[in-house]
Amino acid sequence: MKNRNIAFLMLIIGIVVGSLPSVVTDAQDAPEASERGKEVYEESCAHCHGTEGRGDGSAAENLLPRPRDFTRGLYKIRSTEAGELPTDQDLYDIITEGMPGSSMPGWETSLNADDRWELVAYIKTFHEGFKEREASPREITLADKISYSEESVEIGKGLYTDLGCIECHGNIGRGDGTSAPTLTDEWGFQTWPANLTQGWNYRGGFDTEDIFKRFIGGIAGSPMPAFEGDSFLHFGLTSEESKRLTELENKDEMTEAEEEESGLFYEKMDAAVDVALNRTEGMELSTDEQQTYDDAMKVVYEKSWHLANYVKSLMPEERPEPAIGNSVLRSQYVQGALPTIDDTAWETFEARYFPLVGQVVIEPRQFNPTIDAVNVKSFYNDTEVAFLFTWDDRTHTVDETDEETGETLEDALAIQFPVKVPQGPTAPKPYFLYGGRLPVYLWHWKASAPEQVTELTAKGVDNVQVQEVQGDLQVTGTYTDGRYKLWVKRVLKTNDKKDLQLDPGVFVPIAFSAWDGSNGDIGTKRVMTSWYTFVLEPMPSSRRFVYPPLIAILSLGLLVGLRAVVQRRNS
Amino acid sequence: MKIYLFAGLALLLACCYVGGAFAADSAETESLVFPESYSAGGVSNGGTISGVVKFEGDVPEMKMLEITKDQAVCGAAEKYDESVVVGEGNVLKNTIVYLIDISQGKDFDKATKLEMDQKGCQFSPHVQIVPVGARLTMLNTDKVNHNVHIFSSVNKPVNKQQTKNRRKMPLAGVKKAEGPVSVKCDIHGWMSAWIAYVPHPYFAVTNEKGEFTLEDVPAGTYKLGYWHEACGSNSASPASVTVEAGGTVTQDFALKLK
Repeated sequence: MKNRNIAFLMLIIGIVVGSLPSVVTDAQDAPEASERGKEVYEESCAHCHGTEGRGDGSAAENLLPRPRDFTRGLYKIRSTEAGELPTDQDLYDIITEGMPGSSMPGWETSLNADDRWELVAYIKTFHEGFKEREASPREITLADKISYSEESVEIGKGLYTDLGCIECHGNIGRGDGTSAPTLTDEWGFQTWPANLTQGWNYRGGFDTEDIFKRFIGGIAGSPMPAFEGDSFLHFGLTSEESKRLTELENKDEMTEAEEEESGLFYEKMDAAVDVALNRTEGMELSTDEQQTYDDAMKVVYEKSWHLANYVKSLMPEERPEPAIGNSVLRSQYVQGALPTIDDTAWETFEARYFPLVGQVVIEPRQFNPTIDAVNVKSFYNDTEVAFLFTWDDRTHTVDETDEETGETLEDALAIQFPVKVPQGPTAPKPYFLYGGRLPVYLWHWKASAPEQVTELTAKGVDNVQVQEVQGDLQVTGTYTDGRYKLWVKRVLKTNDKKDLQLDPGVFVPIAFSAWDGSNGDIGTKRVMTSWYTFVLEPMPSSRRFVYPPLIAILSLGLLVGLRAVVQRRNS
Repeated sequence: MKIYLFAGLALLLACCYVGGAFAADSAETESLVFPESYSAGGVSNGGTISGVVKFEGDVPEMKMLEITKDQAVCGAAEKYDESVVVGEGNVLKNTIVYLIDISQGKDFDKATKLEMDQKGCQFSPHVQIVPVGARLTMLNTDKVNHNVHIFSSVNKPVNKQQTKNRRKMPLAGVKKAEGPVSVKCDIHGWMSAWIAYVPHPYFAVTNEKGEFTLEDVPAGTYKLGYWHEACGSNSASPASVTVEAGGTVTQDFALKLK
């Protein structure tokens, strides 16, 4: 018995120890480049990245972001400092996990680990720098992490403005900064700043550590700068010293003593910057210099963790679940007037999330969507239904001219229903893309006329009719900080045969299309969903307070009666 | 789920093939040509090469820049695209004129201040020569945020934020000769400048009169090159100049748009 216990214990220890390396994997290096790597590359990667690794494969033209050009050695997602090449492990991780929000898939299931390492080795042959590299790259240290707290978030929020993140990422991080529309990457292709509220679209992951690394190391090849220590204001000063210097600098006139005091601060900063530059230039630092550098960087790292915590605070913990299954769009019943656009009643429950994808069935297609999803809430009462649609768009476009076609581009949203609700779950629905044989009923809203929705009937993209009778729809549309908010109200029952009629408890197909004018969206070039389901959640019946107690009383009576009968028989 | 993924991918690839192969932009800016090695020392009784660079052909009208943000600072005065700046008498500013094949000569003048200002949301100067290893100090005269983005490919690229309160930001010296490389500010997309990282001091940038001067050139015959961002370079067929000890030689150029 005792032996068996020991054996069991050993087994447990064995399992734990055996599994440890997979938990705490040390960063690995790639093998020497081989024929196998080339083979795998040409089969799986060359279509996009090109046989020469120049990012010019046959599929490249239609992709945004473009596939990486490996010959320049500019890698976005690295655990290394600014200007450094990535580690082998960095490359392996990207191949394994892919890059969310781009066309780069993860290869974990389609290529085995050995092949992925072979790929790392082969990809490195495209850039001379990997061969010339003398020492291993400087990795960003994640020690001294400042954990998440409201206080930290608050400090980070201040830095977000002070450091100029706001210029591209916008007031509250939706990627709608005033510099956003003009950004290009290293190769001159247009690129958009991340919508920081959508962590699931971050190319390199959205853990606080990931955010911190992007911040310190920059995103090479993109406009995202690296916040190397010496680019920080007052680099070399402690927070207190920095505060004091700002105070001195803000004075209209300094006394002699104050002049001297600030002079010392400037000397200290110059010395720290000098050391940092020496380090970048590859000079060996003396012990004293290293100390100066470490002291200065301590402040930088602290600030960067605060900033990373702030960015983390902008997003939900996970990507919302699409509105299917139990989370279909349910309109909530209210008595009396329906809430208007800014009513706080809308904040009492979670919106339903409808992810949008590029329309790639019919020409012209949209391969590079910029709108992630539309979020929807709804209320209804005895006569009307109100919807609140919100979606993020980095730019407010009302009349931009497409440089190629000369067409006028603008932002828009369409909400699609069938004209007639299919009877039962197996009954056919109209074609999801603007209907077909079975017609669809649409509300089409455009940013240029935010107080108006046009009712359409369509039997396919080429057969769209503006309804003769424009029903009694009330509409309000706003755009603030990179987000559209659209409020629509309609009566449940209309007199127009071409309109959908609504009844509580009936499951109605619903679908969406959205256009981002600044992304060239027009006509079928747009983002959209397939059919989802919407229901006016039936009002809980008041009869539930009558029948169950009645049945309970009846049952009890029956039981008592039965018992009486049995007792009588027995006696 | 997987089937859809594959179908989608297949569709995507099919469309891409129809779209045809994508050709990389080959209009790369021509680069300067540097000697394999250079040794610096004293030059006694050197000669001078000077001249004027003129623009040939119809002078393009300078495009007014569209200022899209920070109007108070950036839009205070009208701003023009500086890619072709032609002065009176069709003289061309911002052309680099340099010796291609010099292997020994004078040392860099260490007293020269290496600065590039960001002023009114434009870089000044528009073309800057920076010795290899030397530190260029970026100035921010504007009270707005800028980011200094230097598109090096031989050296490590630089992309550093220079916030509105940061007056001076020195940049680390580079290891190798390169350029000219483009300098941009991503925050203000219209800002544009060029930096050449050079291994010897025989480089000049033409002034608003189109003039250049290379001094203390050891006597000898040299290839004289030029580079201009819109007119390209003559590195394929440079001019040949012979400098006599203590003498001055003149070489003018006439450049056309690429």
